[in-house]
Amino acid sequence: MATKCIHLFDKLWSFATCKKTRLPTGRRSNLHRDVEKEEFQYASAQCLSSYYSVFVVRLAIMVMLAILIGLLTFLTWHFTKIYTTKSLNSLAYDLRYELLQRPILRMWNILNSTAEITASQVKLSEYVIRSHSNLATQAEQVEMYGAMKAVTWALFSSRKALDSITVKYRNGFVQAFHRNLKDNHTCYIYSDLANYSMASWNDKDIHGKNSSIWYREPLDPVTGEKIGKAMKIAPEDSINIAGLSQVPDGVASWHVAVSKFTDSPLLSAALPVWDSSNKSIVAVVGVTTALYSVGQLMKELVDLHGGHMYLTSQEGYLLATSTHDPLLTNSTKLKMAVGSENEAIRHGAQWLQKTYGNHFPPSHEVHVENVKLGHQQYYIDSFFLNLKRLPLVGVIIIPRKHIMGEADERAFKTLVILISASVCIIVIGCVCILILTNGVSKEMKLRAELISHLEARRKAEASSNYKSQFLANMSHELRTPMAAVIGLLDILISDDHLTNEQCATVTQIRKCSTALLRLLNNILDLSKVESGKLVLENAEFDLGRELEGLVDMFSVQCINHSVEIILDLSDDMPKLVRGDSARVVQIFANLINNSIKFTLSGHIILRGWCENPNSCSDNPKSGYLQKTRTKQHENHVKKISNSDNKMILWFEVDDTGCGIDPCKWDSVFESFEQADPSTTRLHGGTGLGLCIVRSLVNKMGGEIKVVKKEGPGTLMRLYLCLSAPVDATEQHCQADFSNNGLVVLLALHGDRGRLTTSKWLQQNGVITLEASEWNGLTQILRELFHARSPAYNNGFDAHYPLLERLKSKFLSIQELTNPAYVIAVDIELLDLSTDIWKEQLNFLHKYRGRAKFVWVLNHDNNNTIKMELRKKGHILTVNKPLYKTKMIHVLEAVIKEKNVELQRKNKGGDLHESLEIDYTHCDLASSDGSDISEMGGSNFVCASGDKQREEVVRSYSSSQYQINNCLVGLAHEHMEHNTPRKEGSYQSNPNSKDVTKLGTFSTGEDSECGEMRRANSSSRAVNGKKSLEGVRILLAEDTPVIQRVATIMLEKMGATVVAVGDGQQAVDALNGMLGVEDGRRESLLKERNIRSSQTEILNCPPYDLVLMDCQMPKMDGYEATKEIRKSEVGTGLHIPIVALTAHAMSCDEAKCLGVGMDAYLTKPIDFKLMESTILSVTRRT
Amino acid sequence: MDAGQMKRQWVDYIKSLFVEGFLDGQFLQLQQLQDENNPEFVVEVVSLFFEDSERLLKDLSFALEQKGVDFKKVDAHVHQLKGSSSSIGAQRVKNACIAFRNFCEEQNTDACLRCLQQVKQEYCLVKNKLETLIRLEQQIVAAGGSIPTMELSF
Repeated sequence: MATKCIHLFDKLWSFATCKKTRLPTGRRSNLHRDVEKEEFQYASAQCLSSYYSVFVVRLAIMVMLAILIGLLTFLTWHFTKIYTTKSLNSLAYDLRYELLQRPILRMWNILNSTAEITASQVKLSEYVIRSHSNLATQAEQVEMYGAMKAVTWALFSSRKALDSITVKYRNGFVQAFHRNLKDNHTCYIYSDLANYSMASWNDKDIHGKNSSIWYREPLDPVTGEKIGKAMKIAPEDSINIAGLSQVPDGVASWHVAVSKFTDSPLLSAALPVWDSSNKSIVAVVGVTTALYSVGQLMKELVDLHGGHMYLTSQEGYLLATSTHDPLLTNSTKLKMAVGSENEAIRHGAQWLQKTYGNHFPPSHEVHVENVKLGHQQYYIDSFFLNLKRLPLVGVIIIPRKHIMGEADERAFKTLVILISASVCIIVIGCVCILILTNGVSKEMKLRAELISHLEARRKAEASSNYKSQFLANMSHELRTPMAAVIGLLDILISDDHLTNEQCATVTQIRKCSTALLRLLNNILDLSKVESGKLVLENAEFDLGRELEGLVDMFSVQCINHSVEIILDLSDDMPKLVRGDSARVVQIFANLINNSIKFTLSGHIILRGWCENPNSCSDNPKSGYLQKTRTKQHENHVKKISNSDNKMILWFEVDDTGCGIDPCKWDSVFESFEQADPSTTRLHGGTGLGLCIVRSLVNKMGGEIKVVKKEGPGTLMRLYLCLSAPVDATEQHCQADFSNNGLVVLLALHGDRGRLTTSKWLQQNGVITLEASEWNGLTQILRELFHARSPAYNNGFDAHYPLLERLKSKFLSIQELTNPAYVIAVDIELLDLSTDIWKEQLNFLHKYRGRAKFVWVLNHDNNNTIKMELRKKGHILTVNKPLYKTKMIHVLEAVIKEKNVELQRKNKGGDLHESLEIDYTHCDLASSDGSDISEMGGSNFVCASGDKQREEVVRSYSSSQYQINNCLVGLAHEHMEHNTPRKEGSYQSNPNSKDVTKLGTFSTGEDSECGEMRRANSSSRAVNGKKSLEGVRILLAEDTPVIQRVATIMLEKMGATVVAVGDGQQAVDALNGMLGVEDGRRESLLKERNIRSSQTEILNCPPYDLVLMDCQMPKMDGYEATKEIRKSEVGTGLHIPIVALTAHAMSCDEAKCLGVGMDAYLTKPIDFKLMESTILSVTRRT
Repeated sequence: MDAGQMKRQWVDYIKSLFVEGFLDGQFLQLQQLQDENNPEFVVEVVSLFFEDSERLLKDLSFALEQKGVDFKKVDAHVHQLKGSSSSIGAQRVKNACIAFRNFCEEQNTDACLRCLQQVKQEYCLVKNKLETLIRLEQQIVAAGGSIPTMELSF
């Protein structure tokens, strides 16, 4: 068993180890393949192998369990059984032995007692006979017989077991006592005395006396009294009388006799009685004892213990059995044991005879177990009693059942129970193992499934990622051809030879291309955000100005829609914030664009306010909004305000369009989702705008949602989390106008805009009056300026009853000492369709001395009106929409003028007629504040106001596009009159200060404004003017082809180009320039001749711009730029450097800008893009 | 062959160049840049391109034949070639250069050599085409015609 187990373990171990060693080799062979694939395969292989190993382990555990339990069962059963059987067997042996011994001992007893009785009878008989030796008479003879009878009786009665005692005398006289043991019937048998004489005492022939008569008389078994009459019986009838024949040699004899009166064999002994001389036998005494009692004992024993016993003589005659079967055949002969009627005894005897025959073992003792006799098993034991004359053999046959029956049964039952129990345990154990391992294998399966799912998910994510990345990477490839298409279309439009029809078609194509480009940009932006490639800038920018620019831009579109666009920024908005200005602008551009699309009439309001925990309460303008939002975002605010310098800016875009169904408020921000699908047909669009907005807003840490509003339209509310500049002192551009005695009359057409402006003005302590139409305006004017003449006043009061509100205002105006009136007149208030406007103008002109007029112009007002206004001296003009910053500028201008006038009055005729608004001062508030010296200079610039104004007008009309971005259409640039190139347009003057900056759109972004700007610049090309006339450019490019192409391009635009071959030369060229900066100027003609001559670098004139290739030999563009910037430190100069690179990724752009470049152009050089970029950069300085 | 016929031939030829992808919009821009001030501008730039490219190709062949190939140098050369070819609008050369640069990054010498062959092939093709084109133009000019202005035919 143990070896078996060891073998099994060996097998299992070898199996496990071979598994272990096999796996890694399989892995190693796959090493060259794709790692992921291999991992997956490995995982699945592992899973499969583990699946098999689980199966094997399960089997092994089951087998081991079975073996263990089987072993346990077997051993238990075995030991229980063996020891029981052994002890039982020994006990049984003892029992058998004992059982056999007892009848044999009884037999022995019987024999002994018979012998004793016989001997004592003989001795007594001798004595009696000797004492009656001389039997003379009959009487004496009778006396002797009487004595004999008494003696014999005495012995007979003392031994109850005796069957009979007989005395046969020599003369044939018989005296016998007989007892029937069954009924205890005792009788005395004697022969007739008369026939025997003394004479015949010595007669030998007793047997010959046939005439003898025997009597039998019954006796009382106890007393021996005669109880019945003597009956005559035939001799030898009832008992056997031992005669002389039985003692032929005169010694005692033994034999087993069979009586015909009893059914059991008798043991009879005979002894002769010698006379006194010991010479002749006088009589023979015979004693018979029945073996009945032995049989009785055997029966009793067998009854108690079961089985069978018998005693045989040596020859095999049955002497006694434990059964009731007769022992005699025909009552005369003894039976052989083999012929017994009892089956068990017969079979036993037969078996013994068959086994041993006559050759019994020396001791004649046999102990055999488990002999099959018939259908049962028996124990057979024999015992030999070796008597001299009567050897006896005792046999006991006990069925095994009697002794071992219980034990066998128990053993069998135990075995059955054990086997069934172990089977149960095995079954249960197997089931348990199955369940357990099933769990394990199930887990394995699940794990495998999980692995495959993970794999699938990873693949899906990867493919999605690839898609996004592909789109993001495609951006350049997609934009370049689009830019080319648009540029070429521009060229085509500028062609003079086109017919009108062709021109219309081409214009249409251009519009479509622009739309396509916008769509592309949207998709690319979205994919950029999704692919995580969008990196937000973190630069300082003027949020207010960006938004104003945006509103200016969209106001053009709004006028066509007759929609009023209003910018309403609260005063607590920070001036400068850090963030990605382009993206912020894009957010609002998309939102406003959306609003414009869906708003046919009414207004669009862009509200903005700042959320500071402490400034929540001091903003009454949006009180109810604030309540809700403070509730909603209280937690958020706390969180954000903890981080330093972060602030939350809230914005709302409110329109009066068709509105959005409330159930779609969430879904409008999804990709390609529009609130109403039918609007696509009406308004176009892809539904990407809001999605981009949300992505961007979320990226800036904000949220956007649609909010319920009263009235029609949509209200989008969003907040952005922007950081304030670290070192910026909180400078709100907030002027306090309350002490200047200003009265503003707002005669504006749009209700909402006027309301907003007047609210703001009143907050700042300016008294405002409002009029929405011409009549109202005239009435208020008359009221204001003729109030002091009561007649006028009364007359008008009758016709136009004033509102109470106005009256109170008039009262407060009258309290002012020396009020300054500012009248903002919307040009739309005039009747422009006919010529009435001129008269209206003249009417207003009458009040010119008493009030300052600010004209709010539209973009499409024709020049005649403007000219007329200028002719009349109305120089304060503002483009719509009128918002806070513009208002501040206007008011500041007015206050300044007023102060100057006051001064002049005081001094009496000062030369400085300063109508000029100090724009540098205004600009300082909104620009970087870097040009302090410029500002200082501006104070003495105001030399000849009229002349200056003339210039302003000219530049104004020539640069049409500036209208879009300008603040106030007044003096935009202050020029230094001692500049030698005064007559050139402002672009050619490197020192000219262009106040109206172009939007700070980065060149890489094709935003709406960029489009517009490009369109404008191309329209300038139509006018035949060379856009870059006079700009001097240093081109650093190593590839000769590109160098040549770029040179020609730039020269075509009118620029002067100096080309150098690498970064080092560029740096040298610029250093030379710095050296000669002090004043020496070469002639322009000479410059033109310098193309790529590096030798003349020293003579190079100063440059307005450097175009720098990034990848160049010797010193690359980045290095060169760093050099240049380093050399500029301390000089106050900043030469714009535009990168020229073949890399189109945003990281390159960041790198370019990081080293100090100003803009970024990609190869191949796009004509238009280069032009616009250069223009924007050169003008900025 | 009169000038008109030649002009038509020229137009067809340049169209085929665009259709087959030898040239792209950049070449049109080049043509646009040619005017009275620079009458030979296209020819000048193209011949510059030829010179430059042949030099670069020679350098490239040399660099790739070295024992330890300096991939940085190779990459710089290819980058230059790419820049000049894209500036002239030789689109197929440019595309071959892009593939070339990828292999440079992988430092795969065999693939680089294969790419070099391809670039050379593309270069020869475009050179032939451009030379034919310039010959045609010269013929047109010689015949007294003028080069047709831009036909936006792609």
